[in-house]
Amino acid sequence: MNTYVCRYCRQPSDPSQPTCPLCGAPVDIRDNVSDSGWVQQPPVRDMARIQFGQSHCQIAGTTVPIAEFNLAQQEMVYFSHHVLLWADPATRMQNMSMRGGWKRMMAGMPLIMVEAHGPGHIALSDNHAGEVIALPLQHGQSIWVKEHRFLTATGNIRYDWNSNDIWYVTGDDNDQETHYPMGQFGDVFTAAERPGLLLLHAPGNVFIRDLKQGESLLVQPTSLVYRDISVRVHLHLEYPRNMGFAFWSNRHDYRNILVRLIGPGRVAVQSVFERPEDMEMIRNHSYATRHRW
Amino acid sequence: MTCGAPLDVRDKVSDSGWREAPRLKDMTEFRFSASTCQVEGELVPVAEITLSPQDAVYFEHHLLLWKDESVPLSSLKTAGGMKRTIGGMPHIVTVANGPGRIAFSRDSPGELVVLPLHPGMELDVREHAFLLASHSIQYSFVRIKGLANMLHGGSGMFMDRFITAQYPGLLMLHGNGNVLERTLRPGEKILVEPGGFLYKDSTVNMQAVQMPLKTGFVKHSMYLAEMTGPGRVGIQSMYVHHGAGE
Repeated sequence: MNTYVCRYCRQPSDPSQPTCPLCGAPVDIRDNVSDSGWVQQPPVRDMARIQFGQSHCQIAGTTVPIAEFNLAQQEMVYFSHHVLLWADPATRMQNMSMRGGWKRMMAGMPLIMVEAHGPGHIALSDNHAGEVIALPLQHGQSIWVKEHRFLTATGNIRYDWNSNDIWYVTGDDNDQETHYPMGQFGDVFTAAERPGLLLLHAPGNVFIRDLKQGESLLVQPTSLVYRDISVRVHLHLEYPRNMGFAFWSNRHDYRNILVRLIGPGRVAVQSVFERPEDMEMIRNHSYATRHRW
Repeated sequence: MTCGAPLDVRDKVSDSGWREAPRLKDMTEFRFSASTCQVEGELVPVAEITLSPQDAVYFEHHLLLWKDESVPLSSLKTAGGMKRTIGGMPHIVTVANGPGRIAFSRDSPGELVVLPLHPGMELDVREHAFLLASHSIQYSFVRIKGLANMLHGGSGMFMDRFITAQYPGLLMLHGNGNVLERTLRPGEKILVEPGGFLYKDSTVNMQAVQMPLKTGFVKHSMYLAEMTGPGRVGIQSMYVHHGAGE
């Protein structure tokens, strides 16, 4: 009986292969673990193959990797239309029906999802130097993914999206602006009836950590890539101790808007994140903790 | 104090004398003062610092990737706040005190450059390139002299200046793409695209010079940074092109 479990995708796998056939992670390497417990997600090796159903995906390149699919008859993947790199003319493509189009558009989420049906070849890539992360999902398993990290998923994975409920409001009574540091919505993927494959793309390097029950950590909101549904998250505002400023300094300039992740569960962050945009006073916010040093 | 550079590799020096900065191996760990730094990742590397109780580091506040809840933050008083704001430099620099863990990264593929500074050293760094510095290093800024630099030089009005007095310190930069370094002899000059400039010893003089380019009767304005030795000059291979002074 095979007892090998891949360290990265957490699924029973085959140790005799050079890479995990379910997620493409190299099998013959040691864990790269930092002193604080972050495990570096190893880049999928150039030309590694990932099997799903009767189809397979091959990852080509290492700087801005391409996911190249060989789709079998009656199997399909779906993706946001802007990640399509090339496709066989034989591959049948059609729009995927989506709910909440207006809200998605207002939140800056991709409005059009495309389904590609086999048989045929199709290749997808994002346009950032970074890593492709393959997450095989077992039957019934769900995972939360930050918006714009999704690359593609197999047809048997259900796609949903929920409000993150992480927000704050700045501005005065006449001109208020609501900010969503982690994005207004998060993608939730669930393997509904049978196992499936989810591919993400994250700029920079990716690190994974398992939080124990009740363990917490403060991270930049835009650095999150994915988390188990069991990991709770809320806003955290931290104000450094003021060592004395000149008169023009705005006391909001140096605050840190972070999110607190509370275990149990797995979280992944990327080393590239967006700079905070706004430095105005916060008038209102979702549930948050504060710390003034 | 160490810099984490691999010792089992040969110097990579181009024919013209540019030496590649040693690419730090994944999970390389090195010490400074009583603290340690671990470098994680190779595409957009992360610097993870384990601070001892008596140590502190300072950084531009938006570079914080994650931290332990217990790590206290404070702000570093920087002189010339208004000038810095006008020059597009961060006028808020945050200090993290030990004990605890904190991690930093910038937002583009590149390399971390570890520069241990001995007592009595001065180093100038292009704006928005410094990742962190240990508390024993003094932080100020210098204005690049000459109007041409401001209008056409492209590397901005100000550079960060890091000075060590009687104690050594650790300075870490993030260079976009690959980083190369060259040591200029006294009086030796080299022209560098201003966007590619990363750091220099303060002994190296830097000024903008206009290149005499013409197409027919149309004159093109191209400005480069002229570096005059003695001292080290560091450049990065990926940058915003500042060639046109229109």
